[in-house]
Amino acid sequence: MRSAKTVSLAALAALALAACGGGSSGGSTSTSTQAGTLIYNPPLRIASVNATDLAAQFASTSSGQQLLALAGPPKCGIDFEYIEYETVGAKGEPATATGAIFAPNGSAAAGCSGPLPILVYTHGTASTKSYNIANPSDPTNEAWSTASGGSEGPIIAAMFAAQGYIVVASNYAGYDASSLPYHPYLVGDQQAQDVIDALKAARTAIKGGLPSGVSDNGKLFITGYSQGGYVAMATYRAMLAAGMPVTAVSPMSGPYALEAFGDASVFGEVTLGSTVEYPFVITAYQNAYGDVYNSPTDVFSSTYAAGIPGLLPGSLSFSGLVSAGKVPQLALFSSTPTGLAPLDTLTSGITAASPLAALGFGNPFLINNSVRIAYAADALGNPDFGLSVVPPFNGLAPWMGASVALSAATPTYPLRAHLRQNDLRTNWAPTGPVLMCGGHDDPEVPFFSNTVVFSHFWAPYISTVPFGGGLPNNLVTVLDVDPDATLSGIQSTIAGLAATAFATDLAAHASPAKIAADVQVAVIGAFAAHFNLTGATPVPIDPQGVFVAALAGVAAQAVVTFYAQGVTSPTTMGQDVLLATLSFTHFPSEQVACEVAARAFFDPLR
Amino acid sequence: MNPFQKTIALGGMLALCLCGGAARADDNVVRVGMYAVFYHTAADDVQGPFTPPGLSADVSNVQTVYLAYLRRLSPHFDLELAAGVPPKTDTVAKGPTTVGSVPWNGETVGTVKWFSPSLLLEYSFFDESAALRPFVGAGLNFTHFYDRQINGNGQAAFGGPTYVTLTNSIGPVGTLGVVYHFMQHFQVNLSFSAAEVASHLTTNTAGVQRKTYVSFNPQAIVFAFGYSF
Repeated sequence: MRSAKTVSLAALAALALAACGGGSSGGSTSTSTQAGTLIYNPPLRIASVNATDLAAQFASTSSGQQLLALAGPPKCGIDFEYIEYETVGAKGEPATATGAIFAPNGSAAAGCSGPLPILVYTHGTASTKSYNIANPSDPTNEAWSTASGGSEGPIIAAMFAAQGYIVVASNYAGYDASSLPYHPYLVGDQQAQDVIDALKAARTAIKGGLPSGVSDNGKLFITGYSQGGYVAMATYRAMLAAGMPVTAVSPMSGPYALEAFGDASVFGEVTLGSTVEYPFVITAYQNAYGDVYNSPTDVFSSTYAAGIPGLLPGSLSFSGLVSAGKVPQLALFSSTPTGLAPLDTLTSGITAASPLAALGFGNPFLINNSVRIAYAADALGNPDFGLSVVPPFNGLAPWMGASVALSAATPTYPLRAHLRQNDLRTNWAPTGPVLMCGGHDDPEVPFFSNTVVFSHFWAPYISTVPFGGGLPNNLVTVLDVDPDATLSGIQSTIAGLAATAFATDLAAHASPAKIAADVQVAVIGAFAAHFNLTGATPVPIDPQGVFVAALAGVAAQAVVTFYAQGVTSPTTMGQDVLLATLSFTHFPSEQVACEVAARAFFDPLR
Repeated sequence: MNPFQKTIALGGMLALCLCGGAARADDNVVRVGMYAVFYHTAADDVQGPFTPPGLSADVSNVQTVYLAYLRRLSPHFDLELAAGVPPKTDTVAKGPTTVGSVPWNGETVGTVKWFSPSLLLEYSFFDESAALRPFVGAGLNFTHFYDRQINGNGQAAFGGPTYVTLTNSIGPVGTLGVVYHFMQHFQVNLSFSAAEVASHLTTNTAGVQRKTYVSFNPQAIVFAFGYSF
């Protein structure tokens, strides 16, 4: 009896232990390294926000309110799904990358679940490796940063996901938890493959059944901005080549004509942000092709060379890179002439005409003159005739009068050869609606050496139908969101208007709030054709109006800020406003305007 | 029939079937009864990727069947192995009202079963022949957590199907109580116990690991019938 009792207790314990299998996850982990494989299925849902809470979150900040004014109130909430997938690096090496699905949530009646269109979004240049567009809960993340100027995540969430598009966005290989130790920045084939792999993985997740209950309605849109404009175009090219159906595409402000863009820069058209973008593309091409330099000092000045490899993407923001002394703020090139006569002559002419370009030359500088000399010799010997439509090259030999339809030449200098290799002017053509959006005074990705050159390359497909007139008659619509007609650019126009309004208000001892309001009124009044002025506040009626309103806001904010810092001279104020508006043109002003245009372009096709 | 009623019925059966037998000061006692367990949970905020600050958890109190075996070592000392039917506890979310728009605070997010035996050395006061003997005891508790489940609420908050692990716990346990020998071979006892039970908890949702350290600090009131032989 005694032993029987003991045994029964032991049996009970054994019974209990027999159940110790542990919890089951219910998810699956793929071990395949096949590109396009979703690694965790279902993916991690980082956050789920319903439409009411989403609206409240946007309403809690002034930038969010402005965004909703353009995008409309959220119809849907958003589930932020974090995808990890297999892809390849620039050399075809297996790699993993991460990205996001912004899956709308809400009722099918509201258009927030059930069959919905997929919109692939390709992001712009990000300097921080931790970039993760899937994570809206981290305001320090570059994709969701609430720092000055904002970030892409909220824009895409408000414009598309909250309006019933399933957004699929890669973080790109080399970012976030990707296994690739570098990012193939502007390596067209790799970037396109990466995005297609993200799309395949996202479709696997959607087919598997996401909690939000969305499904693929078969419509596919591609859009992206800046670097992402380039990637969107490269992805479109790759998808057409692979026979994948695409409904419509909107590449925006991207460097599509990389060789022409590079040539214009080397000759003197130095752009804002180039002290980050050039080291990024040079180190990416070195990783991809191995022949750009033997030592970083071959390309970069001794001041910066040691810190360049591995810098991008890294831990620092754009401004952090400058303040940490990793790159110069503006001086891409040396202020000492190269000694190559045709190059120096061209540069003198360009910098004399463009104060912004002139700021690209200084000391300390980033890129050695030896690079410019070798590059320019190649560019002069093997000209890119795309520049025949780009001022000032359109008036100069060897470009003047040449056929722009000729795609880029066959370069010999390795860096230029790789820009040519990744230039999107290759033998291909659109098969569906395309909206190429940009602004002609973009100081970072020049409109002429990219959008205009590329649209000449695609001349047979360019629509003459103005924006807003319904479906285009032809396939490609080119939209310039910048309504300013002056040669000096919209930033100078706005700076002048702001300085005048400031001078008047200063004399009248107006409050900062009144000064800010008057600056906005002056700027919007100068572009009144793009606004509905009948209500209490002006409402933009087209993407140009959106662009102007955004820059007017920047100008007003700048005037108040600099006035508080003690600036009272209208001339100084004008210069400060000019710099502020230049800094905030490409992003976010132009992007927001282009997103409004892209939404209007896509909505009738969804 | 609630668990208490079941226990009483079981006790009754024992009384009916096992009555009669030898003298007092039997070497062995088996007890069956009821635990009422009160957790005094203190959990660190959950740490890990994509985890908002301030997420924590609590554990709901449970009642479960208590089973124990006591071995008499001397007139005043016994060794008790207490096990019991492993309880299943509810993990209740603590922290912000919502995570995103997913309800969090106060939601039951998962369950876990405990295999939690304790080995105690007990000292009983008064003479062995006394009907009422208070006792104190101290020993070690071992807890193994199993059948760990995250329910739909938890999956919604964690972001998908979630696998949970909890490390085993070994910690001190103390008890004090009183035994009433109401007839030969039969006793009832009422006791209060407290144990240190703590575990490193790790969740894995689609490869994303989140961690916390949980001190459960259970306290239990036991009411049980015993049979000695």
